[in-house]
Amino acid sequence: MIFDALRWVGYATLVYFILMQTYLIWLGMRSAAVMRRVHHLDRFGRVSDMLSSQTSPPVSIVIPAYNEEAGIVDSVRSMSIVGYPRFEIVVTNDGSTDDTLQVMIDAFHLEKVRIPYRPDIPTAEVRGIYRGHGSVDITVIDKANAGRADALNAGINAARYPYALCTDADVILDANCLVGAMRRVVEDRVRTIAVGGNIRPLNGSRVQLGHLIKAEVPKKLVPRMQVLEYVRTFLASRPAWSGMEALPLVSGAFGVWKRSAVIAVGGFTSGHMGEDMDLTMRLHRYHIDNSIPYRIVYEPSAVIWTEVPETLRVLRRQRIRWHRGLMTAVKDFMPMTFNPKYGKVGMVTWAAMFLFEYVAPIVEFVGWITIPVALILGALNTTSLVILLALAFGVGLLNSLIALLLDETYGYFNSKADTARLIVMVLIENFGLRQITVAWRIRAIIGGKETRAWGNMERKGVANLGAGA
Amino acid sequence: MNPATIGLIAVAVVFFIDVILLTGLVSLKAVHRRRRRIHAARRAEYVTVLSRHLAFQHHTDPFGTNIADDDAFLDAVIDLRNIVSGTEIDNLTGIIDRSGLAKRQEARLRSRFPLGRRLRAAVSLAEMGDESSAPVLIEHLDDREPEIRIQCARGLGRIQHTSAIDPILERFGFEQPWVRARFADTLVGFGTKATWPLVAYIRVNLGHDQNQGVIEAIRVLGTIGDQEVGPTLAGVLRVASDPEVAIATIDALGVVGGPLAIRPLKYTFRHPDWRLRAKSATALAQIGDPSINPVLAEGLEDENWWVRRNSAAALAILPGGTDLLLKAIESEAPFAADAATEALADSGELAAARARFEAGEANHGDRVLLGYVTAQEAVPK
Repeated sequence: MIFDALRWVGYATLVYFILMQTYLIWLGMRSAAVMRRVHHLDRFGRVSDMLSSQTSPPVSIVIPAYNEEAGIVDSVRSMSIVGYPRFEIVVTNDGSTDDTLQVMIDAFHLEKVRIPYRPDIPTAEVRGIYRGHGSVDITVIDKANAGRADALNAGINAARYPYALCTDADVILDANCLVGAMRRVVEDRVRTIAVGGNIRPLNGSRVQLGHLIKAEVPKKLVPRMQVLEYVRTFLASRPAWSGMEALPLVSGAFGVWKRSAVIAVGGFTSGHMGEDMDLTMRLHRYHIDNSIPYRIVYEPSAVIWTEVPETLRVLRRQRIRWHRGLMTAVKDFMPMTFNPKYGKVGMVTWAAMFLFEYVAPIVEFVGWITIPVALILGALNTTSLVILLALAFGVGLLNSLIALLLDETYGYFNSKADTARLIVMVLIENFGLRQITVAWRIRAIIGGKETRAWGNMERKGVANLGAGA
Repeated sequence: MNPATIGLIAVAVVFFIDVILLTGLVSLKAVHRRRRRIHAARRAEYVTVLSRHLAFQHHTDPFGTNIADDDAFLDAVIDLRNIVSGTEIDNLTGIIDRSGLAKRQEARLRSRFPLGRRLRAAVSLAEMGDESSAPVLIEHLDDREPEIRIQCARGLGRIQHTSAIDPILERFGFEQPWVRARFADTLVGFGTKATWPLVAYIRVNLGHDQNQGVIEAIRVLGTIGDQEVGPTLAGVLRVASDPEVAIATIDALGVVGGPLAIRPLKYTFRHPDWRLRAKSATALAQIGDPSINPVLAEGLEDENWWVRRNSAAALAILPGGTDLLLKAIESEAPFAADAATEALADSGELAAARARFEAGEANHGDRVLLGYVTAQEAVPK
């Protein structure tokens, strides 16, 4: 009996893994069609014509800042020259304990102003509002510390324009990212309530004065693994989800949101570890429940660059946090899972999120235990096991290669060294690194005080990246 | 066939595909690297040769017969087309004609090539701005690909082919919003030549099912800024039942309306729809007539925040408006005082008042403003 159970659990685990990879390949194929179009538009479409257009809707760039004294001025300066005809920058100083506010006051000649603050979304106490009178159209909200989500809500409250780009203080925006994202808004202003962007790791690349000079694959293994992960996620999955208009996640590092829609659902949830996923799903639920036509889309040409963890210790904290966020979201939106009322979101994308993101580490972990035991006890046929393992590895490889081929749309990483580094990563990531990330996700499931802490990212700062990464 | 054999075949197939993809990836990267390098070098060579050649009028060119097929040559011509002027443009047009470059791109546009090549052809024709391509560009305003339709309109705009205005407008009402927005950009590029076709379009379609087209046409008129259309827009504002049409018209009247637009805008400033009131405040400020100040001061006590804000912002830029804003701060109406303070902070008046105060040169108004700001203890809960 146990013998049979072990055997079937072992086989089921491997079949599950192959199924998951097959689903990802299917997504990759669907994404390829979307990316092909993006490739043509990027090369020839002259989307930047929007820069001089009178039809471009204005945007508020909302940046939450907590203890960003070292890099906030450079970040705001870098964002202030993003290519877009009309935008303002709203920085929320989320109760920083360093001199984040003062350095901004000094750099942008901010003036404390007595203006009405409309708490359309309830937030922690706002202590002051500052406006700049220089070349940068900047508003700074100084508020009590209450976390990233609350800071974003305060920024959205203070934003003057109908669309808010919510991003982070430590990212580099590609010159055309806002034009690319807002193109999707102009396509369908009535229905478009959110547009996600393409996030890429910045580590290892050459950066000067807050601008990306040359994208390079990092030499260190940990950030390099993340380059591959980001490429797979943002080029081989999200375009397909977006094509179905069933995107379950607009990433927090770059999301253009329609203010009125965000306010209608009560903004970002304070204290949520996956506040971006939570908001995206609440928007889906709200619009479907109330039969309001809408769409949430992803724009691969809206590229931003962000610093990713360089050490396993920091990466572990990040992954545990992400998985805790996913777990909360899965619990909150369980009624939507496999619910035909929610269309493709409920039946395909969110269902897949549940099956292949939430359940995956559990299944994989069970596999690690049962397969060796079953093998020792002779419950598994060694030949069959080797075949299934080889198949799982081969299909996983296929998925990564499709993603890298799609990445050729952008033409980054073209040197021989970069190509070699990526290929090595594709070949080795399944031997160790993948298993470590699964272990972290299991740690997140087990819970405990450690998994509930947000933790510090320990960033080098955008200006210092590139050296030695 | 036993399961193990099937499994082995599956593994072999998957790994075979992996090897193909891996080889493809490595080759693609190598090809892209090489192609970029060669293309850049050839393009630079062509630019050098063409630059020398363009200075004088020639009847023969130093290029081979199949030059039109060379993408590097095409890019070099486009590079130069965007920077040369005067007789050099005529000489370059001669080269384009003699080399058959435009004809080649027209053929590509008409072909069944995939989107990328056809789009490139449309963009190239738009960039080259060769008048002889106009019929093909007009023909492809109906292309199945929206991006190609956009590029064709752009090309027609670049060569200022005025007979294209009507065909573009014909598609205005039923085009996708993105394409319509780009068509609107093209029409703006035509300037006042597009004014009367746009007016005719609005007159014919107002009140029908093509309101989005009408709204865009009104926006275009506002951007072109031809003051001749002020009375027409005032008439549109009188009869517009769709608030979106009214909002676009108010916006446009702010730019082109002049003094004649004040009366209809005063009317919409008291409209029950707050959006119209808020827009009217901004439009009245754009017209810039201080006689409207007392009306805008009423807006400071409006029930809607946006109306109060826009009225205050309008007063902040109109001559004599600052006095009314300071009066609002002294008044009993707290919301009016808030709106006025924000406008004065945004316009820099608050900073100036502070500077005068520190220099010991503060006047009564400065004291009122600074007193209010200090008393209010920064920000409300």
